[in-house]
Amino acid sequence: MITQMLQRDGAIEVVGTAMDGTFGLRKIEELRPDVVTLDLEMPQMDGIETLRQIMRRNPLPVIVVSSHSTEGASETFKALQLGAFDFVAKPQENVSTMIDTIADELVAKVKVAGTARKPKVEVASVDEQRLLQVRKPPRPAQNKRMNPSKIVAIGISTGGPNALLYLLSQLPADFPGSIVVVQHMPQGFTQMFSHRLNEACAIDVKEAQSGDLLLAGRALICPGNRHMRVRHMPLGDVVVLADDGRVNGHRPSADVLFRSVAQEFGAKTVALIMTGMGEDGADGIKAVKDAGGLAVAQDEASSVVFGMPKVAIERGNVNRVVPLDALANLLQVQCATQRAITT
Amino acid sequence: MTFFSDERATELRDLFFESAQELLQALNDEGLELERKPKDPEIVRDIRRTVHTLKGDSAACGFKELSELAHAIEDALTPNVVQNGNGALVELVLHAADTFDSMLTAYRTNGAQPNADHVRALIRRLTEQPKARGEGELQIEFVWTEYEQLLISKAAEKGIPLYNLAIEVDAQCPMRIAALQLVKNVLQHLGALVVVRPEGDFLPEHVATICAVIASSQPADAIEKKIQVPSISRRTVLESYVREGESRDNIVRRATSLAVKAVAAPAPVAPAPTVEPPKAEAPKNAVDHSLPALMPIEDGDDERTEAAAPSSLSISPENLLRVDAERIDAVLNLVGELIINKSMLNQTLSDFGKQHAKDPLRAKFADGMAFQAQILNELQRSVMKIRMVPVEQLFRRFPRVVRDVARANGKQCELIISGQNTDLDKSILDALAEPMMHLVRNAVDHGIEMPNERTAAGKPAKGTLKLNAYYQGNQVLIELSDDGAGIDRDRVVARAIANNILSEKEADKLSEQEALSLIFQPGLSTAEQVTEISGRGMGMDIVQSVLKRLKGSIGIQTERGKGTTFQLRVPLTLAIMQALLFRVAKRLYAVPLGSVVEIARTTQSHIHTVDHHEVLQLRDQIITLVRLDALEGRKRAAATGKEKIFVIVVSLGDRRFGLVVDKLEGEEELVIKALEDSLVATELVSGASILGDGTVVLILNVASVVERLGRAAVGGGARKLGASA
Repeated sequence: MITQMLQRDGAIEVVGTAMDGTFGLRKIEELRPDVVTLDLEMPQMDGIETLRQIMRRNPLPVIVVSSHSTEGASETFKALQLGAFDFVAKPQENVSTMIDTIADELVAKVKVAGTARKPKVEVASVDEQRLLQVRKPPRPAQNKRMNPSKIVAIGISTGGPNALLYLLSQLPADFPGSIVVVQHMPQGFTQMFSHRLNEACAIDVKEAQSGDLLLAGRALICPGNRHMRVRHMPLGDVVVLADDGRVNGHRPSADVLFRSVAQEFGAKTVALIMTGMGEDGADGIKAVKDAGGLAVAQDEASSVVFGMPKVAIERGNVNRVVPLDALANLLQVQCATQRAITT
Repeated sequence: MTFFSDERATELRDLFFESAQELLQALNDEGLELERKPKDPEIVRDIRRTVHTLKGDSAACGFKELSELAHAIEDALTPNVVQNGNGALVELVLHAADTFDSMLTAYRTNGAQPNADHVRALIRRLTEQPKARGEGELQIEFVWTEYEQLLISKAAEKGIPLYNLAIEVDAQCPMRIAALQLVKNVLQHLGALVVVRPEGDFLPEHVATICAVIASSQPADAIEKKIQVPSISRRTVLESYVREGESRDNIVRRATSLAVKAVAAPAPVAPAPTVEPPKAEAPKNAVDHSLPALMPIEDGDDERTEAAAPSSLSISPENLLRVDAERIDAVLNLVGELIINKSMLNQTLSDFGKQHAKDPLRAKFADGMAFQAQILNELQRSVMKIRMVPVEQLFRRFPRVVRDVARANGKQCELIISGQNTDLDKSILDALAEPMMHLVRNAVDHGIEMPNERTAAGKPAKGTLKLNAYYQGNQVLIELSDDGAGIDRDRVVARAIANNILSEKEADKLSEQEALSLIFQPGLSTAEQVTEISGRGMGMDIVQSVLKRLKGSIGIQTERGKGTTFQLRVPLTLAIMQALLFRVAKRLYAVPLGSVVEIARTTQSHIHTVDHHEVLQLRDQIITLVRLDALEGRKRAAATGKEKIFVIVVSLGDRRFGLVVDKLEGEEELVIKALEDSLVATELVSGASILGDGTVVLILNVASVVERLGRAAVGGGARKLGASA
């Protein structure tokens, strides 16, 4: 089925297929493909083990095909951590109606992966196990976190899970800003993703629900298949989720988030447009820049896919271009310096 | 649409029917579990998984009606339905299991599909809530978002009492657009409006319920009255807001239903039960979908977890083999023949030994035989094991039975099951299903008293039924005890006399056990009498006849006001048994070794005749003696006073009797061959077997002997027995 999907596009040549991991490894040696798609559910050697072997022997972009389930999500994050380029979630039901969407997504991702340079293993790989073992300082009580110094809005796609883990895990528990994230990810995966980030990071990470408060030292991840907006309320600031249509072909969309943050918080906003294909967020971030906030794009060298940041930079919608490993520092400085003004 | 050849399709269907039964059982179990722990998301997930599997399997077999119904049910099990429809949900699950069952039967027999309308009606009732749920309370759990909690906690600082309230807007409300504003006005008059949902000035089309928190110093009654806004409010809920850590003792909760328009409720539906005290304080990570209508349902949760946990039927399918019972029986038969053959060889060997005692070949032959015997034993045990199934297969049906019967009679009853891992021959277990069902039903129906009677008698209102199974030697004991009223012996006897089962004179002589066994008499088993004698009677004769057929027995212990215990005793298996062989009047008989208590040696002079019975004093016990030839009505050889005789003491349930035998022949493993009724004139014999030398041995049916003895004791047989003694 994957083969058929890929062959629809003339630019892609399927050089070989393998029924399981062992064969797959052999064929990769033999055929030297540009991109590998890998089903995580395979007989014999499982997907994760196969991926580990691929990455050890000759790293190349791997797109993981995962099932839409709790286990699937957990395996997917493991795969991304091992260096998988991106993933596509298999539809659970209504296969026939979903198939075109999935095919388009897969084709697009394979194409991007084919043109991408060697994955940035150095930056992307964070030792999550080590992070989990670190004793974290207690998070401050809610009433001490009611007034975040700044609102940090992040729009991120392909390569995002690792980059976000890398970024958020560097922030301290008393980080004075509040973070809202749109990560392109299917429904169901975002909860698992938030949970993993919450375990690994000192700040508090949560899948957003309508009415959740924007607290200092907290990151709210927009759930898959919803849009997230922010709203300034008399007693505190909240996120509001909505089901309106896709923007740029995405839901959640970074454009929606960026515009909403710019409108509600203006100069109090820091927006980051990070690794990912397409151009979601590239226009919305202009609203932040125009409102007096800081618009930042991740640089090309540290991006797994330099798509969204590239478009934003080209259109002149950002103030700065910063590598991934400098972003945490930037956020700390930006949020800290503004504290006096807001209180 | 099928992808398989006809043969494959048939096979697939057979497989489906079997696995579907297990799924239905699982569904039943899960429904009952849900009744115990309403709203437990884990159980709901299990139910979804079960229904989902059923849906998939039935669709694969082309059973459209079943898969569609399963699909509808699966769809109905959304989180907000689960949150709001606890009682009705249990009803849905259990009724669905029943309907699925009749659908399966219909598919199997090519019969007409049963009507599933009541299940669909249940689904509709659940899913169309709260708008169309008709009567009953508005069921709502107040879960506020973080921001709303913040507002609430700010308001709480002022010390004015807070109330959660919900107003369901009447669907026929003529001024729907203005309804929200009107309600808000009313609430603002009552006190400070802290939170109100939905936000804005107009009520969106899909929202049916307005939820709010108000701070008000007015009494709850007054507030309640005010929120019954004419022609807007349909149903309302008002409860005091409880802060985290506060005592919930004095919490006020009122639910009112206005303008009740009777919605035709399907017959089997129990009225919507009242909600439990709702959580006023939302936990930190509360999911917002508990507010229906207000928030779009996020059913992603379940989708994700669907494949997560392993199925509750946790035996891995690859290691499970479904085999037709007949095939196993064929193997078992062959093993039986081999065992007979072994005895034959043994016989030959011993004959050979007699003739050529010194022959070295004999020893080799004997070694080979011993080895073969060992393997044969192993083989037999392995085959027998295949036939063995845990009694759980039978027991697991009963929780539902107990629940249903108890409900129907307005009783409360709990069933405690133990020993469900005890293995029993499948055919025996199948045969036990009906009698056990009778006993369990009767125990709830007649044994357990009504709750008020129980409390009056100083017992907990909820009755307890215990079901236990365990091994005892070659037998399995199944005990069913209730803590109910017990059986009234005198009334049983009186009823028996009235029905001419025995005379008053005979009745006086009855032992406790004998009196109780009267309930097994067919004459005492009409429904009308059952209720009158407050005892059990319905189908009791069936129970006993089944057990007799199984070479089992049933015993009763009862104590007035304390309860009754039925003890069923069945052999582990019917096919092969250890038996004691003996001769009476030259005839070779066998009796199951399991029922032999001891063998005593005595002389004719020690036997006394009491009350027309021959009895023997064995240590401090008096045992009634039985002479098989006499029971069979054959003429007995004249006994001389000094002749040494053997008495085999046999027990059946609580009764013991001695078999007077001429000669003991030894112990043997017998492969039982069923006898056709026409071949054997007497019910005293339950089967026959062939020994190694070709001799036929008759296997005694201990239960029939006891019964014959009983009849002989109380009925006309006594004279006959007495005369011959």
